[in-house]
Amino acid sequence: MTTAKIPILEVQKLTKYFGGLAAVKDVSFEVRAGQIFGFIGPNGAGKTTLFSMIAGAVRPSAGKIRSRGVEITGVSPFRLVKAGIARTHQIVRPFREMTVLENVQVAAHFGRKPVRSPSAAKERAMQVLVSVGLDALADNPASILSVGNQKRLEIARALATTPDLLLCDEICGGLTHSETAAMLQLLRRIRDGGMTVMYVEHDVKAITAVCDRILVLNYGRKLAEGTPDHIQNDPAVIEAYLGTKAAGRS
Amino acid sequence: MSATSATLPARRMAGWAMTALPWILLAILAILPLLVPSPNFTRLLFMTFLWTTTSIAWNLLGGFAGQVSFGFAVFYGAGAYTTALLMNAGVNPLFAFLAAGLTAALVSLIVGLPAFRLRGPYFAIATIGISEAVRVVMTNLSFTGGASGYRILEHRPFRQLEHYYTALLLAAIAFAISWKIAHSKFGLGLKAIRQDEDAAADLGVNPYTYKLAAHALAAALTGMAGGVFARYAAFIHPGGVFGFHTSVHILLMPVIGGIGTVWGPVLGGFVFGIVEEEIVASFPEIHLLLYGLLLIVIILFEPGGILGGLRKLVRRFRDHR
Repeated sequence: MTTAKIPILEVQKLTKYFGGLAAVKDVSFEVRAGQIFGFIGPNGAGKTTLFSMIAGAVRPSAGKIRSRGVEITGVSPFRLVKAGIARTHQIVRPFREMTVLENVQVAAHFGRKPVRSPSAAKERAMQVLVSVGLDALADNPASILSVGNQKRLEIARALATTPDLLLCDEICGGLTHSETAAMLQLLRRIRDGGMTVMYVEHDVKAITAVCDRILVLNYGRKLAEGTPDHIQNDPAVIEAYLGTKAAGRS
Repeated sequence: MSATSATLPARRMAGWAMTALPWILLAILAILPLLVPSPNFTRLLFMTFLWTTTSIAWNLLGGFAGQVSFGFAVFYGAGAYTTALLMNAGVNPLFAFLAAGLTAALVSLIVGLPAFRLRGPYFAIATIGISEAVRVVMTNLSFTGGASGYRILEHRPFRQLEHYYTALLLAAIAFAISWKIAHSKFGLGLKAIRQDEDAAADLGVNPYTYKLAAHALAAALTGMAGGVFARYAAFIHPGGVFGFHTSVHILLMPVIGGIGTVWGPVLGGFVFGIVEEEIVASFPEIHLLLYGLLLIVIILFEPGGILGGLRKLVRRFRDHR
């Protein structure tokens, strides 16, 4: 029972310098299991840097990241997958010479619960494709998918590694309104299935619509944290997004 | 609807044909030297099998995993010298060949551990540097005879067919390994690395160990081919087995045949093995230049190699029917 109390992700005073510039400075927060946890912030606020550090793609200058009490700071991505943390990419990176099914099959083979036989991996991959609604396109080359479907494929691949924590990087970027709505619905379904989601997005509307808890970054520092309602009414957040004048008027 | 149901049995037939093809080919090649008892022809096929083995081996790393190496002469030479030294020490040839494979695999780790820290063209350049460094060292190593080479003294009568079947068996093993990998988890991991190494790592593939494993396997096969060659030639020298042209030949075959496929390197190996004899005999000075031109033509007009071109033709024929 005590395990439920340990956060699935715990970030302590995470800092990243690029030269003399602090892209992220002393950011701390916790993500509880079963939530959709979002980051927002104006351009250059350090969202992507923070995300990349958690995903193991960028090594922090200082600070600690723990998952369920185990330190994962600076751990390489393929080991994070084995620890139950998987990511998607903002700029989609499908294996273009493979079919949609094969793309997901790679994840089933090498994920947290690795499958050895190709037929078993295909079977699991197909289940995941059904759950994200790409099963009809399974035998198509990944390169011909539309942007929306490529983003879905990113999620399908990450899900096929059977993570506890799914890191989503701008999965609604470049999507139409209806595609965005469908994507957010998918995220909710993933959460309701028991997975924890960490979600970075430029689009404030999308984030506030789907997240249980939101962290606001500004100039690399934590500006605010709380529920969507709380964030939307926080004067500091309104100021950061709209400027002082607008904040004063509200 | 009727069109798809008609093509289904045809497709299944094609599938059987593809499974039967290696066995039919093996059977033909096994009886061919008995039907055509010409030492020259047997020698040509013997060399073709060795080239094909190295071609298949290179493709495991360069084709499946996409790591282009210009340094396979290092493994060919390491295998050749290991076999030569062991056979002169009285070791049975078979064990000498296995030791050659093992030595080459170990050498591949020494090369790969630092070189796989580099990516793409930088990896390729590093393999050229290492390969040349090894050649220079071997040229100056006195106990293997240095530049003047090393002779193998075998106290058994020379039987060409024994060499022939050894090479055929080795090529068959290489093909079986390649075929198995192409249809396995390991192969899919390598293909993922070729297409996007970082995305592969984000799905749990460890690119570094996978590349090292493919490299070691390729090196072992190449080393054994070098060993079989050394025993046949009974004389090896660094300028030959460790020469840069050896690395280029090994790389050229899968590119000619069709990189990243199972049959491409076999096709390339056979075309190269047979054509090479003619080219070297007719144009000894400029044969490397001709290969360079061939490489440029293939990369410009048909990056899929002979196999890629054939597939295109088949598709066009099917569409026009």
